[in-house]
Amino acid sequence: MLIVFFLEKDLSETKRSLIEENLKKSSLLKDAQFVSSEQALEKFQQNFPELQGIIDNININPFPSSFETTLRDENISSVKILVFIQEISRLEGIEDVQFNKDWVEKMESLSRLAKAAGFFLGGILILASFFIISNVIRLNVFARKDEIEIFRLVGATNIFIRIPFLMEGMILGVLGALISLVFLFLLVKFFPLYLGTSLGALNELINFRYLSIIQIFLFIAAGIIIGLLGSISSIARFLKV
Amino acid sequence: MIDLYHIWKQYQPPHWALNDINLHVDKGDFYFVTGPSGSGKTTLLKVIFREIFPTQGQIVIDRRNILRIPDHKIYKLRRTMGIVFQDFRLLFHKRVYENVAIVLQVLGIPRKEIRRRSFNALRMVNLHHKMWEYPSQLSYGEQQRVAIARAVVHNPKILLADEPTGNLDPELATEIMTLFKEINNQGATVIICTHDRDLIRYFGEKILFLYKGKLIRKETL
Repeated sequence: MLIVFFLEKDLSETKRSLIEENLKKSSLLKDAQFVSSEQALEKFQQNFPELQGIIDNININPFPSSFETTLRDENISSVKILVFIQEISRLEGIEDVQFNKDWVEKMESLSRLAKAAGFFLGGILILASFFIISNVIRLNVFARKDEIEIFRLVGATNIFIRIPFLMEGMILGVLGALISLVFLFLLVKFFPLYLGTSLGALNELINFRYLSIIQIFLFIAAGIIIGLLGSISSIARFLKV
Repeated sequence: MIDLYHIWKQYQPPHWALNDINLHVDKGDFYFVTGPSGSGKTTLLKVIFREIFPTQGQIVIDRRNILRIPDHKIYKLRRTMGIVFQDFRLLFHKRVYENVAIVLQVLGIPRKEIRRRSFNALRMVNLHHKMWEYPSQLSYGEQQRVAIARAVVHNPKILLADEPTGNLDPELATEIMTLFKEINNQGATVIICTHDRDLIRYFGEKILFLYKGKLIRKETL
């Protein structure tokens, strides 16, 4: 997103440098470009040659010099952006600020909605995996009822009987996580191609990226934990030894 | 060694499977339990093994009331016992060798030792040549011998056997009883339920007669 800070006319070099310094210090910005009033006029003439007559008539350069800044990350919260703009606007020499406040707020609420939907669906899927694993283990416990009974009668400890089922739950969890990671990889790789330019302006805001290494490990660990909890719950209910 | 105090067991009222059984078995005893079908022989073994709980009464083994042992510690008692079930309870998807080795596996014995002892147990019941077959490939009598090998492979202190020779020919039955006698001579307490009067006559030292759940007679030869 572009934020333009318009400067006062005849601003001293020192004050301009101070503003530039403040902009460059900010961690929110990717870039801060000074545009002099001459450059602004030039740009206008290039972009709107049919309006050249108006400029000729007024006989002066009406464009103020400015700093054109771009945000580092589109996902920065609107509150942070607004605070930043306020801080810079307070500096001496800033006359006006131009940015799309509505756009910022809409994107913020869209991102919040997407996050909430993600958590909701994620929660449902976690619960679903938990119950699926739990039921698979339960079926296995039933299928191996005789074997468990014999193990009990020959003096096997609870741990000895439970370990294969716990391992099974963990393996199911890991396999589930790995398969999901593969699907996610394919989705991230090919879905943008499928979408093409159909998202229009949103294309630049929605960026599909794969999980980081830490996130991948956390994802697999979560799979193991869900698998383990699933098997513990079914063993606890159906394997009272 | 094994003491039963006023043991009652009821599956379905009004019949009592065990009816006020009082029994004292010393270490190294060799007992036969006999009686008609439905007299409570199997139930008696099951309560001693704590596969089931009696309705009333107390059972003390090695000065420990086994009815008070929590479920998660019962494995300690069972590891000291060997049992031949009337229905064998073999794992049909595992090989003969694995069925026997299972007892040693739960004891955490090294694999090499498991192989040696399982082979010896199967040799004792003359089934070592069929150790890689599945129980379903064996005859009824052979399955019974696998169950016997499994019961004795870990040299138990107490050996309980429910009709262990029921499906064996007299010659093999005598061999199996000789094996039980050997285990008994090594110090194990043996309790065998059987209908076979010849075996009782030949091997019997102490005999318990059950009738409708009651211990009606106790003989020492």
